[in-house]
Amino acid sequence: MTSLDTVVTAEAPEGIELVLRPAGIVARAYAFLIDALIRATLLLIASIALGSMNKLGGGLFLILLFLVEWLYPVLFELLPGSATPGKRAVGLKVLMDSGLPITPAASLVRNLLRAADFLPMLYGFGAIAMLLRPDFKRIGDLAAGTLVVHTDNTRLHGAIPDAAPRAPARALSTHEQAAIVAWAGRATRLTPARVDELAELALPVVGRSPDDAARAAQRLLGVAQWLMGRR
Amino acid sequence: MTPLQFETRQRPRWDELEQALAALEQGRKAKKTSRAADPTALDPAHLAALYRAACEDLALVRSRAYPVHLTTRLEDLTHRAHQVIYRRSDYGLARLKRLALVDFPQSVRAHWRYMLVAGLVFALPLFLLGLATYFDPGLVLSVHDAETARQFDRMYGPGSDPFGRERGADSDWVMFGHYIKNNIGIAFQCFAGGVFVGLGSLFFLAFNGAAAGSVAGYLTARGHGEAFYSFVVTHGAFELTAIVIAGAAGLRLGQALLAPGRRTRLEALKLAASEAAVLVYGTIAMLLIAAGIEAFWSSARWVSPGVKYGVGAACWALVIAYLAAQGRPPRAQHLQRAGEHAG
Repeated sequence: MTSLDTVVTAEAPEGIELVLRPAGIVARAYAFLIDALIRATLLLIASIALGSMNKLGGGLFLILLFLVEWLYPVLFELLPGSATPGKRAVGLKVLMDSGLPITPAASLVRNLLRAADFLPMLYGFGAIAMLLRPDFKRIGDLAAGTLVVHTDNTRLHGAIPDAAPRAPARALSTHEQAAIVAWAGRATRLTPARVDELAELALPVVGRSPDDAARAAQRLLGVAQWLMGRR
Repeated sequence: MTPLQFETRQRPRWDELEQALAALEQGRKAKKTSRAADPTALDPAHLAALYRAACEDLALVRSRAYPVHLTTRLEDLTHRAHQVIYRRSDYGLARLKRLALVDFPQSVRAHWRYMLVAGLVFALPLFLLGLATYFDPGLVLSVHDAETARQFDRMYGPGSDPFGRERGADSDWVMFGHYIKNNIGIAFQCFAGGVFVGLGSLFFLAFNGAAAGSVAGYLTARGHGEAFYSFVVTHGAFELTAIVIAGAAGLRLGQALLAPGRRTRLEALKLAASEAAVLVYGTIAMLLIAAGIEAFWSSARWVSPGVKYGVGAACWALVIAYLAAQGRPPRAQHLQRAGEHAG
């Protein structure tokens, strides 16, 4: 986790830090568009269905219009999953800053303040707030103390590929150990050329073996296996 | 201990926690099929123990720089368990009842300064513009356009199309929907505008006050006073109060940003918003009541103005009594609670 990652941490009472991955403006704009389509379809269907019901239908339609305009996100955020259908489709959900499920009051606040985010036009203030902040909060999120996060964690690291364990040529610091193990964990996801290139950097660790049959990468994987505890 | 040994030793516990979480998350979706009778149900104390163990493991894995896939798995597990264990679940009818009977009126009283400011910002333009329009009806055009003014004439005047007074039960429903959409929308704007250091709330309050005042003044000057006042008196008790309360909730947000006290502005805003949410809940309920009254009672032509004034006065008394007196704890309890806070 470096300053490059857009990651927010929340401290749990148990003293550990929960890692949350806030969603940026593009993902949220997609989610919003999907929701807008769903809302429009809903209203279209309702207007056809209720249009045949004379004035009672007209009244019901206005009520529905109100509900869809203001309370559609609140309803879906309070259901299990904490996300509107659009957010769900994009893989987002809404949490409290603490990493807990969103509370009704927070959901109401963040969605009513859409009116402020929307100004001066087309979510202008909301977009500015999201672009200025590392955790991509719009004004409603700031006031409600909520966070829109990615639900699916991208797994960049897999198991370490098999290799004959071998001891490193010199003693390694904790940082060096972590770097080698992390490199080995990503080996299956990188191109072979890149794996080799990175392994070259660690030549002093694997030692220049007299029989250079085994590639540097293979030997470094061996070191990683050794660090993991295989002997 | 090597990462491999660590993983082999701890993995059974992680697997157990993962299964328990999956079962719980599934169970929540499947509408809680009598969890007590379920033989596979997990002892909550055991779940908490598993969760704490996973937290411990995560801390170890991080500090010892173990492979990242271990960290991610544990992060995932602890995050899910944290959500399950610390989820608040006291929502429901009991919470709603407490909100209506205690929390909302208490919150209104606790925010009386904001109520006062919001009330004045709403009422002053209302009275000033009301008087001004009464003496110079043309002034109504400074707030409303000509077509709207003509519509007011039609609605409340004895003209050929007395839309506001003589309509069928069907159009009552249309108006009910219209009032819900319009009035609750206005209240929401009054609240949301508060996030711009309160200016938005002040603007919407003053603007809506001016709009209402000019209509009242105009119609009074035109001689439609009785039709108008008997129409608005009953639902006004709920509607005008609710809009003032929504504006006050917005001002609470603005005040938090302007004068955050010993908190950061952001923290102050969050606190203010969570307190103001109670006010907004109440506002929504009051405006729903107002819309119902406005659509089905205020416009009822068969009720004489005298009865409407009477009912309207009763409603005002009811609303004021509710906001002023409801939810006050008995004196002894009050003292005891104060003692608890001091200790």
